[in-house]
Amino acid sequence: MAAPAPQAPASQPAPTAEPAPAASTDTPSPDTAAAAAPEQPRHVRHAPGDPLEGFNRVMFSFNTSLDKAIVRPAAMGYKTIVPSPARSGLRNALANLNEPIVFLNDVLQLKPGNAFRTFSRFLINSVFGLAGLFDVANHEGLPHRKNGFGNTLGRYGVKPGPYLYLPVLGPSSLRDAVGGVGDGAVLPNAVGEPFDRTDYRIGTAVVSGLDARIQYDSEIKTLYDTSLDPYAALRSVYQQSRAADIAAITGKTDASPDDTMEDDLKDPAASPDATPAEAAPAAGAAPDATLPEAAPSAGPK
Amino acid sequence: MTADPFRMRSLASGIALGLSLASAPAIHAQTPDAAQAPVQMLCDRLIANMKGGPQLGFSGRAAAIGPVVDRAFDLPLMTRLTIGPQWNMVSASDQSALVSAIRKLTVNQYAANFDAYEGQRFTIDPKVETRGADRLVRTSLVQRKDPPVAIGYRLRQSGNGWKIIDVYYQNSISQLATRRSDFARVFQTGGAKALLKHLDDLANRAGH
Repeated sequence: MAAPAPQAPASQPAPTAEPAPAASTDTPSPDTAAAAAPEQPRHVRHAPGDPLEGFNRVMFSFNTSLDKAIVRPAAMGYKTIVPSPARSGLRNALANLNEPIVFLNDVLQLKPGNAFRTFSRFLINSVFGLAGLFDVANHEGLPHRKNGFGNTLGRYGVKPGPYLYLPVLGPSSLRDAVGGVGDGAVLPNAVGEPFDRTDYRIGTAVVSGLDARIQYDSEIKTLYDTSLDPYAALRSVYQQSRAADIAAITGKTDASPDDTMEDDLKDPAASPDATPAEAAPAAGAAPDATLPEAAPSAGPK
Repeated sequence: MTADPFRMRSLASGIALGLSLASAPAIHAQTPDAAQAPVQMLCDRLIANMKGGPQLGFSGRAAAIGPVVDRAFDLPLMTRLTIGPQWNMVSASDQSALVSAIRKLTVNQYAANFDAYEGQRFTIDPKVETRGADRLVRTSLVQRKDPPVAIGYRLRQSGNGWKIIDVYYQNSISQLATRRSDFARVFQTGGAKALLKHLDDLANRAGH
């Protein structure tokens, strides 16, 4: 069973910026602040898969401010001014222009079935959907699937590398960022006009960015409403969903640092020196010893 | 997913086993399908909460789902797994406070998110998968307008039955992993006390 790409975050770094205002809850309360250091306390090592956490968190705050000041207001303005059918027409047309890249990656991933479906989708929408303005194929059981070079690299064993939180673009990884650059280079090189023109590239990036911001609005709000540390929660969700995307292509799991399906989830209280604090000063319990990388077993099927 | 011969066979042998053990003490009749019971109970209650949504109100829904959460989930284990190895360095009173905080958060989020009925229903995959000592029960939230949402439950044996220890959104996003990542910083910088305060804020926020 192919794991469907979760709605958010997007498979490729979505051209959407960060969210709305949020009660910033990740500062320790005053009474416990003695134990806490300011931004990046030294004794807290970076989380698994996130060696650039310091940089990433700065970018996350930058995007949050940018979103609050410019991106979200602009997106809401776009939503108010441009009627919904026009927005969805543009969205569909831009997505349709992306199908050749999806197709190329389906082929590179040796997935003839997917490639055939993508090709049919592109043909149907280009011909019967007025150059892609209407997503006719979706109603024919051929929904849009995200695919790109990030997935293809993953398919051939390239690990995600360090997590990256990019200015404006949002969550990514070294692999996915490289893949995204590759995706963006296909049409300008293969077709040329108008895809290689700067004004075209900026214009379409802005439109799709604003559109994505509207679509993810409630998810972004949920992220802030349901997490203590939205940066870390989003990172975990991104890494898990990308691992699932790659697993769906390879048919086996590519456990992310967070993958609990592949983790035996050993009960910390079951360790020999498991008595509540004070009593035993947790002798020898290495900080990250109890989350053993489980041997790869049958993946989610 | 189409008819799976293996599943049919195990179902048939499960029935046969059940019949042959009909007179034996129930404790021996533990088939993997027992892992479905807590999931079924949770799904039924969520649908009932959605149907009664506006009349029950937030506190009514929370009161109704609370006992179901207690029976269906292994909250103490979920809390220990969320905190990880450092659990053993937390004082006993903070440990039990953390379990209560995770309970409140879970109950409030269910009460907030499943609040109105628009023809939704849950389907439970009859095939229960085995993951080491654990079981994986897959369900799908079928909606009228939107595409179905896959929700999986990982269960572990606890006493005489099975209890949920993790929930997977779209078969890939683990709630436990997300919470672990989400809570790590507050716990590491402010300890159990800071985490307790933040969890309480979070649970209260869900109630609005």
